[in-house]
Amino acid sequence: MKQASSYLDFLRQEFDVGRLFDKPEPLKGVRVLEVCYVVLGPAACDYLGEFGAEVIKFEGQKGDQMRFVTPYAFLWKNMSPGLEIENHNKYWVGMHMGHPGAKEIFLDLVKRADVVVDNLTPGRLATWGMSYRELREINPRIIQLHVSGYGSWGPWTGRTSYDGGAQGMGALAHITGFEDRGPIKSGVWIADWVTGLMCAIGILAALNYRERTGEGQFIDYMQVENVIRWLDWTWLFTAKTDENRKRSGNRDLAICPSDLFPCSDGWVGLAAFSVDEFRGLCQAMGKMDLFEKFPDPTVRLKDENARQILQAIEAWTRGKKVEEVEELANRLGFAASRVLSANDVYSSEHFRERGTIQQYDDALYGDMVQQCYPPRLSATPARLKWSCRPLGFDNEYVFNKILGLPQTLVKSLEEEGIIFKWDPGIPSHCPPADWDGVSGKKLA
Amino acid sequence: MDDKKIVGLAADAEYARWAYRETNPEDIFKKPEALDDMLVIDVSSGSYAGLFASSLLSELGAEVIRVEPPGGDIARKMSPYGVMIKDSGFAYITEGRNKFHITLDVGAKEGAKIFKRLAGKAGVVIETFKPGYMDSLGIGYRQLKGINPGLIYCPIHAYGQFGKDAERCGNQPDYDITSQARGVIMSITGESGLDPEVPSEYKRPLKHGNWMGWYAGGAWASFGILAAMYHKRKTGKGQLVDCSPPEGLIAISDYAMQYYHMSGDLMPRAGNYDYAVFPYTYVKCKDGYTFIAGFTDPNWAALCEVIGRPDLRAQYPTTRERLDPKNQPDIQHQIEAFTTRYSADELLGIVNAYMSRPDRKGTVVVGRLETPGEVVQREHWQDRKTFFETDDPYYGEVFIQNSSFKAMSRTPGRIKWVCRPIGADNDFIYQKYLGMGNTLLNKLCKAGVV
Repeated sequence: MKQASSYLDFLRQEFDVGRLFDKPEPLKGVRVLEVCYVVLGPAACDYLGEFGAEVIKFEGQKGDQMRFVTPYAFLWKNMSPGLEIENHNKYWVGMHMGHPGAKEIFLDLVKRADVVVDNLTPGRLATWGMSYRELREINPRIIQLHVSGYGSWGPWTGRTSYDGGAQGMGALAHITGFEDRGPIKSGVWIADWVTGLMCAIGILAALNYRERTGEGQFIDYMQVENVIRWLDWTWLFTAKTDENRKRSGNRDLAICPSDLFPCSDGWVGLAAFSVDEFRGLCQAMGKMDLFEKFPDPTVRLKDENARQILQAIEAWTRGKKVEEVEELANRLGFAASRVLSANDVYSSEHFRERGTIQQYDDALYGDMVQQCYPPRLSATPARLKWSCRPLGFDNEYVFNKILGLPQTLVKSLEEEGIIFKWDPGIPSHCPPADWDGVSGKKLA
Repeated sequence: MDDKKIVGLAADAEYARWAYRETNPEDIFKKPEALDDMLVIDVSSGSYAGLFASSLLSELGAEVIRVEPPGGDIARKMSPYGVMIKDSGFAYITEGRNKFHITLDVGAKEGAKIFKRLAGKAGVVIETFKPGYMDSLGIGYRQLKGINPGLIYCPIHAYGQFGKDAERCGNQPDYDITSQARGVIMSITGESGLDPEVPSEYKRPLKHGNWMGWYAGGAWASFGILAAMYHKRKTGKGQLVDCSPPEGLIAISDYAMQYYHMSGDLMPRAGNYDYAVFPYTYVKCKDGYTFIAGFTDPNWAALCEVIGRPDLRAQYPTTRERLDPKNQPDIQHQIEAFTTRYSADELLGIVNAYMSRPDRKGTVVVGRLETPGEVVQREHWQDRKTFFETDDPYYGEVFIQNSSFKAMSRTPGRIKWVCRPIGADNDFIYQKYLGMGNTLLNKLCKAGVV
């Protein structure tokens, strides 16, 4: 399929990354209070933040754990990359949520907020008098989402859940790995990220409903159940066969061929399920006999047939370069792609042109190049404004500007220990060592 | 429901009871739906990204019309080992939920005309064809926005609609494996590249066992659609939502991109190790595998006490040593020397006993790696209605995962029916939206359009 050039011109104009900041944001005017830590809850809010929501993040005195979760214990300008990845465009508050003096302030903010998200132990907000029960009394339009491993009620409510544990408890780990080897954890905190995404979808659905009716609501979301939801045909297969789905490496048990193959210079992911696609592949391989033997996709899926087909493809790819296979796929209409690493994407013209990778000048950290959340919206695109911030960095802005407290009162809150800033003795709390004391401050 | 089951291990029993009352699954069908004013046309083809996107919207109340070619979507045939229940495989029956199924050959002139009329009434169109295909038929966003300016048009494809790679590879179909391959995460998932005990033939990139590329793509698509919908409710304006599933994975590839920007280095494949948090791994035990975590200094001290190895704490005293790739295989194998003596449940008992000690040094977390067969039997998931079981008039006994939006207090997600046979809703939908009766439909059927 060759796109018409007028279609491509139209798209280039619609999605021109040079005009990102000249377009509106879809979630402008939505204020989110984030009482979250680690990856899942902050990610859910981050997705909303890059599409224009104003996210105010509350941190305790020790700081979000991700300030200490960083590859090889590496810090960059005092910043933990582990904290950076799920925190953009946010306003950073240090506040002791359990302090009796914090409640009134928080509830005052709730009156002016749209969404409250927490991923604390279920019921923790309730012990502070800040659960949905109390919030809806003062703001019936409020949407409150709580996310935890096992939810707010049920035999396992209260059990701690980390990403790696959730992958295991939801059986994703059981089906990931090679056929004759053990289960493998995802290379990333996948159960955090994708659960956060589903939380954001739930919040958007609730916002859409509120737009129609004026009514807010409470959402109880479960991380492990989310993993279960994402396992495609696993559960019907279990019910119908009484067998556990097996690990099958990169081979897809429901699409044939679909697998990862070795080339002379790297790996290629390849798939060709429909009759036409498989014909194209066999043509590329110069093995029309394979096509004539297995034109029917369903017949190809039988275990012994699949193994025979995959072997034949592997014998072919071994003698090819990745790029040669990709070119044949482009020409003959099957799917083939190399395995991209971070550096490939980082320097890719394609991803820059699409706004997938964006570059911006951060007031604290300087030149930043990183991914911006999809999908690409033509009229209201996502954008990166600033990166993560030191603990309590935006206290003044939030309490003085948004809440309207006089500066003297903000000062006394600080003296009472209700609100606070970074601990100079803990590097990953702090601004870069050479910070001028002003740059990046929103109400300096 | 028994109070003990509701309260479980809750720190605040009263909260658990309140949350149960707010989100009791028994009440789902008495409550309204969040998106029941939306009409979605899903004309996706051979892609579970499209199907998952429309599943999520349908669970939340949107009316979804699935448009398939007259022979049915090839996605119906994507089923493990080729096993089918009548016209559909296990995957399609799982994601056919709540959708009306009609057939239409959009590639035929008459079919395109009918599609255009239908899309004129829709709030959302989802498609997964090769980029530019719908445009070439005269029914892409450019043409539809003229008759329906509020339309949210969401094409989903591995290479996206535009950009250098879309131009180069636009003739490729959309598949999960290519989306995972382009999504960066695959490059760092798989058996450890640095563990000497891993045989070299397993040192290669590994996909997630499920269709992670497609499911992430579908979820991002519905996220984008709902953001666009919110904007439309305020402004009346529609837009183009270009969803490329690999970007959905790139976006969540942890700090791979950030670390490259900051250090110029790539992260290696870690296997079950983790170079930012460790121990945080899967270890062997007597009856399978268990997850175990004890990372920060206090938690590591606690873990060393649990396994009776104070010497390990002394050997790897700070996170710097524990995050060193050279040390992780040894730490792993030392922990396994303990865990392989117990079953996963025994380990949970040991850790729970330790966690109740007043003098515990920190927090240790363990969790069994469950098989699917174990998951479906757990009381917690049964009580929370995580699965949906029905005796479908056409497909018979079906057991699939329920909506994960069930616990929205005001507008819970739900499954109303599982799947529908190919073209089963032609009469109803064509009559309802286009006033096309049987006589006309029969004519179109003979022409192969419907």
